[in-house]
Amino acid sequence: MDKAKSIVEQNGADAWYAFNSPRISNGTTNAYSAAGKHFHYLHQDLHNHGSPANKCRLRRRMDSGKKNRPPFPWFGMDIGGTLVKLVYFEPKDVTAEEEQEEVENLKSIRKYLTSNTAYGKTGIRDVHLELKNLTMCGRKGNLHFIRFPTQAMHRFIQMGREKNFSSLHTTLCATGGGAYKFEEDFRAMADLELHKLDELDCLIQGLLYVDSVGFNGRPECYFFEDPSDPQNCVKRTCCLDNPFPMLLVNIGSGVSILAVYSKDNYKRVTGTSLGGGTFLGLCCLLTGCETFEEALEMAAKGDSTNVDKLVKDIYGGDYGRFGLQGSAVASSFGHMMSKEKLDTISKEDLARATLVSITNNIGSIARMCAVNEKIERVVFVGNFLRINMVSTKLLAYAMDFWSKGQLKALFQEHEGYFGAVGALLELLKMTDDF
Amino acid sequence: MEVNGYRCPDEGDAETEEKETAGGKQQRPSKESASRTKAADCAENAVAAAAGGGTSRDRLASNSRTRQRIDSLKKNRPPFPWFGMDIGGTLVKLVYFEPKDITAEEEQEEVENLKSIRKYLMSNVAYGSTGIRDVHLELKDLTLCGRKGNLHFIRFPTQDMSAFIQMGQDKHFSSLHTTLCATGGGAYKFEPDFRKMADLQLLKLDELDCLIKGVLYIDSVKFNGHSECYYFENPTDPVQCQKKPYNLENPYPLLLVNIGSGVSILAVYSKDNYKRVTGTSLGGGTFLGLCCLLTGCSTFEEALEMATCGESTTVDKLVRDIYGGDYERFGLPGWAVASSFGNMMCKEKRESVCKEDLARATLVTITNNIGSITRMCALNENIDRVVFVGNFLRINTLSMKLLAYAMDYWSKGQLKALFLEHEGYFGSVGALLELLNPT
Repeated sequence: MDKAKSIVEQNGADAWYAFNSPRISNGTTNAYSAAGKHFHYLHQDLHNHGSPANKCRLRRRMDSGKKNRPPFPWFGMDIGGTLVKLVYFEPKDVTAEEEQEEVENLKSIRKYLTSNTAYGKTGIRDVHLELKNLTMCGRKGNLHFIRFPTQAMHRFIQMGREKNFSSLHTTLCATGGGAYKFEEDFRAMADLELHKLDELDCLIQGLLYVDSVGFNGRPECYFFEDPSDPQNCVKRTCCLDNPFPMLLVNIGSGVSILAVYSKDNYKRVTGTSLGGGTFLGLCCLLTGCETFEEALEMAAKGDSTNVDKLVKDIYGGDYGRFGLQGSAVASSFGHMMSKEKLDTISKEDLARATLVSITNNIGSIARMCAVNEKIERVVFVGNFLRINMVSTKLLAYAMDFWSKGQLKALFQEHEGYFGAVGALLELLKMTDDF
Repeated sequence: MEVNGYRCPDEGDAETEEKETAGGKQQRPSKESASRTKAADCAENAVAAAAGGGTSRDRLASNSRTRQRIDSLKKNRPPFPWFGMDIGGTLVKLVYFEPKDITAEEEQEEVENLKSIRKYLMSNVAYGSTGIRDVHLELKDLTLCGRKGNLHFIRFPTQDMSAFIQMGQDKHFSSLHTTLCATGGGAYKFEPDFRKMADLQLLKLDELDCLIKGVLYIDSVKFNGHSECYYFENPTDPVQCQKKPYNLENPYPLLLVNIGSGVSILAVYSKDNYKRVTGTSLGGGTFLGLCCLLTGCSTFEEALEMATCGESTTVDKLVRDIYGGDYERFGLPGWAVASSFGNMMCKEKRESVCKEDLARATLVTITNNIGSITRMCALNENIDRVVFVGNFLRINTLSMKLLAYAMDYWSKGQLKALFLEHEGYFGSVGALLELLNPT
């Protein structure tokens, strides 16, 4: 270790040449042997050497022995409008030698992440989603799924700085709007360079990957049988073999709808701003709740028909001519213009009506897209559906009912994490020798 | 169709003599038998005069026929008064034709309650505590079924339906006209009430059939010489934005978006061929309901007033709030809304917005959602003209301009948003037309 340090100090700005020169090779297989600060010089030079791919290649030579892999830690990050989704690959095949050489802060990061399921006040590791014994880029390990509110981003960046993250890994693959919005903050506060990726590209790659590796031996994808029968509605698994074409509806703060024709060919058909953020925002205003969990809890107990004006409230029954049943909603929140009705409804009813309105609107738009694009399978993802069985079943029902059984609604266990997985995949791809 | 009027079925047309009347299945008297001797007419006048109001059912029916022959002279027309009614989820829309060519003779014979109805409607612009006559929408010197007169537009909340039916009972409306042409959901919902409370039989008509008929008719007769249809040039420029007339002469195909309590979107291919493409439950009723909840207001007018003063960008999460700028890859500018009400999950932001901002955000959210769904329909149906109607747009220039802008912007100028002056009244006009020209 000391040998490497002195070489760098002697050579200053030319240090990176020294590392690469075979004459200087000191048998170390792990570049992290060097003390942290040397990477600052390296970092400056890497900056001058073009693309992240190029920089990655440089780092690679310092790292992993016979294979071309990026150095640990392996993260994929999706910085959304409301939540940050982080996937972390925990290697389980670390040899004694590797462990010995492992730099202190890398070890501490690994320990911090895997020995906790909550981080700070708002970070959560979704343990039930952990993918075990995964082989990625020739390494065996577990894939962990972590989330925290985007509002806590600066705190996260600060932590990266405190743990000297930049000494380990000057590039972090990140997607979502926040990859652009916080790029400067990462650089200025923690000396970290984000490799920005498009969120929809990552979403698709992530989805296809997780679906292909499965969920610890079970399928990742599921649907509901008999969605129109609330008593007999059963969750069933399925595989996304021959997934194309598919309509992919990503329900985050807002909604994007994609028509996916092949793994490299898709288009963003449309979107809507009435998404998960709308549900939560409106619920907070209408009921005084503060979190998604509270909002859902209230919605589970409420009755939206006290709040919404149904077809039967206007017609006295069905509007048969155009196939609108009396129980269909004609006007969401339509009863709320009446003072008497306002006095009789509860917060739970309002939460339920908000959930139903947003969900049905998404379902309706998705259905129109499916019809126009002539696609029968609609896959719904995004954290709006996390612990949200009401919306999930409502979407399943709506797709089935309004299309008279032509459309099938599909869901994924890892809901909102696909963008982050896609970002991780991009990191691993960057190491390929061309 | 005449340019300035509506022809009755048998005006100069022998084949239509046997058409059913609006009120029932009886055959209308033919032209020949209508031109009877004066003596016979006088005898029937006496009968009619003696009949007055409040007689038994068969007398009523026969009096109706009698009156038909008397008041409509040589033509076949339904007896006055001529109403068309659209009972919607929130508002009842009523159109009333006021004849201005009443001869002295006709006036003399006019039954008392008919006269009183006419006077009541015409000498007021407000009725009870919630009824309003939109005087600025009055169509003057219209020729309908060979009669000249003015067409009046009246509205009141559906909540006050019982009071309205009661008034019909008080004024012995049933003695004049046992059939009333009504459309909208309420024609079905309130049918038994009309029958029980006021002995009135509703002729129920489909709301979308009536909507289309009404739109085509009003556009053809024009609005007192001006164009009924218009659009906005430079909708987002407060200085340059101009309302411009539009000629709907060759209207087909047309996408018709009816924004009432809820929304229906129709693709109209010809006057008799249309389909309901889709709808959305996030309509005018949602705007008003949410506003009442979020701001404490109680009327549409109050809600709009607040929205006019508010700023929705404090409430909504924009693309730039998430991306720090544009999301260029998919053409989403930084100012586009990514998540409506998305800022409201944050306590500090909730505490910093005002009621006006919330009202504005509600308006913008509902309007943009309708615009977005409409655009998708237009694209799929391959139609480049969209006409927006319905009372959500009444005194709501904000939404109209937003729709005009959105259609233009997101379609890169391919779609045109059109509007009509009589906004939410077309269903009731269509119902009136059905009275005069039963299909």
